[in-house]
Amino acid sequence: MVAAAQHPNIKIMTYAEVEQVEGYVGNFEVTIRQKARSVDVDACTGCGSCWEKCPQKVTSEFDQELAQRKAIYTPFPQAVPNVPVIDRSNCRHFTREKGKCRVCQNVCPAKAVDYEQQDQVIKEKFGAIVMATGYDLFPWEEAYGEYGYGKYPDVITGLQFERMNNASGPTGGRIVRPSDAKVPQTVAFIKCVGSRDEVKGKAYCSRACCMYTAKHAHQVLDKIPGSQAYVFYMDVRTPGKAYDEFYQKSVHEGAVYLRGRVSRIYPQGDKLMVCGEDTLLGRQVEVAADLVVLATAMIPSRGWEQIARTVGVATDKDGFFQEAHPKLRPVETFTAGVYLAGACQGPKDIPDTVAQAGAAAAKVCSLFSRDEMTTEPLISEVNERLCSGCGLCVPVCPYKAIELKTIQERIPGGQRQRQVASVNSGLCQGCGACNVACRTGAVTLKGFTDDQLLAEVDVVCL
Amino acid sequence: MRRVGVFICHCGTNIAANVDVKRVVEAVKDYPEVAFATDYQFMCSLPGQDLIKSAIAEHHLDRVVVASCTPRLHEPTFRKAVADGGLNPYLFEMANIREQCAWVHAGDKERATAKAIDLVRMAVAKVKKHAPLTPSSIPVRHRLLVIGAGIAGMQTALDVADAGYEVVLLDREPTIGGKMVMLDKTFPTLDCSA
Repeated sequence: MVAAAQHPNIKIMTYAEVEQVEGYVGNFEVTIRQKARSVDVDACTGCGSCWEKCPQKVTSEFDQELAQRKAIYTPFPQAVPNVPVIDRSNCRHFTREKGKCRVCQNVCPAKAVDYEQQDQVIKEKFGAIVMATGYDLFPWEEAYGEYGYGKYPDVITGLQFERMNNASGPTGGRIVRPSDAKVPQTVAFIKCVGSRDEVKGKAYCSRACCMYTAKHAHQVLDKIPGSQAYVFYMDVRTPGKAYDEFYQKSVHEGAVYLRGRVSRIYPQGDKLMVCGEDTLLGRQVEVAADLVVLATAMIPSRGWEQIARTVGVATDKDGFFQEAHPKLRPVETFTAGVYLAGACQGPKDIPDTVAQAGAAAAKVCSLFSRDEMTTEPLISEVNERLCSGCGLCVPVCPYKAIELKTIQERIPGGQRQRQVASVNSGLCQGCGACNVACRTGAVTLKGFTDDQLLAEVDVVCL
Repeated sequence: MRRVGVFICHCGTNIAANVDVKRVVEAVKDYPEVAFATDYQFMCSLPGQDLIKSAIAEHHLDRVVVASCTPRLHEPTFRKAVADGGLNPYLFEMANIREQCAWVHAGDKERATAKAIDLVRMAVAKVKKHAPLTPSSIPVRHRLLVIGAGIAGMQTALDVADAGYEVVLLDREPTIGGKMVMLDKTFPTLDCSA
């Protein structure tokens, strides 16, 4: 993180969103909305007076709702840039006491707080785009009634467990029960919550859970003397380098692995009864747990539909971005110049993500190694004499490659202007959708002309 | 009058097990304007490509058809072989007799072979009408946008920036780091994640 922040060739734009992408490989023009931070980035020293004094508390998204932040905040202490933002939907100045509360502005020694700051919309030019939008967790509370629909505070997700374990997290690294802050003696882990469950969740395996659950079990046994860790699993999948050894280590440390799905969790006293089946022994098991940790499925990051549409990448049935070929072109997309890295393409762990990110970088570097690139000639062309300028081809083009342009032409007794379709050779991918839409036969796809296709049909039909 | 060369691939046993390759050759070799037809075990191999190049010279071919796998796999390979043989690379057509014949009609060799013959005849009819095409070129701006600044975005940005190119690393959150900075120690090395 620090390396990226300090690199002279990297410009960081946080609190910013992509609004529009125009152009094509080598020549993208991207409209970016820089959201108003309400803090002057250049003036702010990151001293923290503002968020210490801010009177408005809000549930912390970064701490996975296990703690609170202020309305002016940085998500965590090592944030880059170390400049807070005002969450205007919760800030008192912007909401209920309109204009009144000015605590952060008053305490700021650098006079950096600026309530008048507006969103800025800028246009920037790029040669390539890498999608690295990541994942979110499957909303298990909406699907798993047998685990309490989220109403038991001591049934948490793996990511919440991570926050608790983190030294800069809400408990300073101590594993406790969210309900009463007591240290749990018995922790039950349930894998494949939302993954490999076609009925309630997703058909796919989320790939990272087996390993992080093994790590969590190790951390429980390591941090809490005399504790017990039970892991309910369907399969243990540890195919990475040094992965199975890692899993075996947690077993040797005392983690008890039970093969079977959990059918129900219910509270009894201050315990959570976890009922399941041990399919290896063929009998019912019940564990009285203090804390239950769910390994929930990875799903595409919220907003995936919109960013996919804006940039122009295809998605699979689950919303992950579609690679051009699962084996041979795993980091390219069907849109030239747009590449994929990380969990936006499919669930993966950190080692695989870093490897894929390196592959995407190599693709970008190979594109950038030339000043010009050759384009495939199998693209559409417009016969302007036949084109009526009806514009039907414009909306059917999935690559936004066709625009109407105005041409001058001579007619008896003078000149006239009219509109005709025009194909951008950098954007056209040769799919042929415009050919089908064209009523006058003005658009043809080079290499797939009507003449060529009819010759094929004739040979088998005549 | 065109002079079309037709090359039928076995793809090891991928095609040959379900399509009678020899019969396809026999069926198309006397087809109008087909000057040469043959089969080979792996057309994509170097000897397979050499077969195309030498046949272009020997039989004065001006069009080439390869019947093998999906064009997504080897169209660039064969276009290059055709270009190396001295022809415009777009005077080439591919018939997919692996996915569209051998694989989908596995177990029905008779009909898979009949379909393969049809597909090859279609490709021959089409290639006769091919015109030479030339690629054009477009400028490339050496500047990258990375959308999302988690571990994937940061790593890509660093690698590309190290190569000397300008990178904009963008995130909708107030900080870079993504999900990874939420984590405690990470497997399998148990080192920190920030």
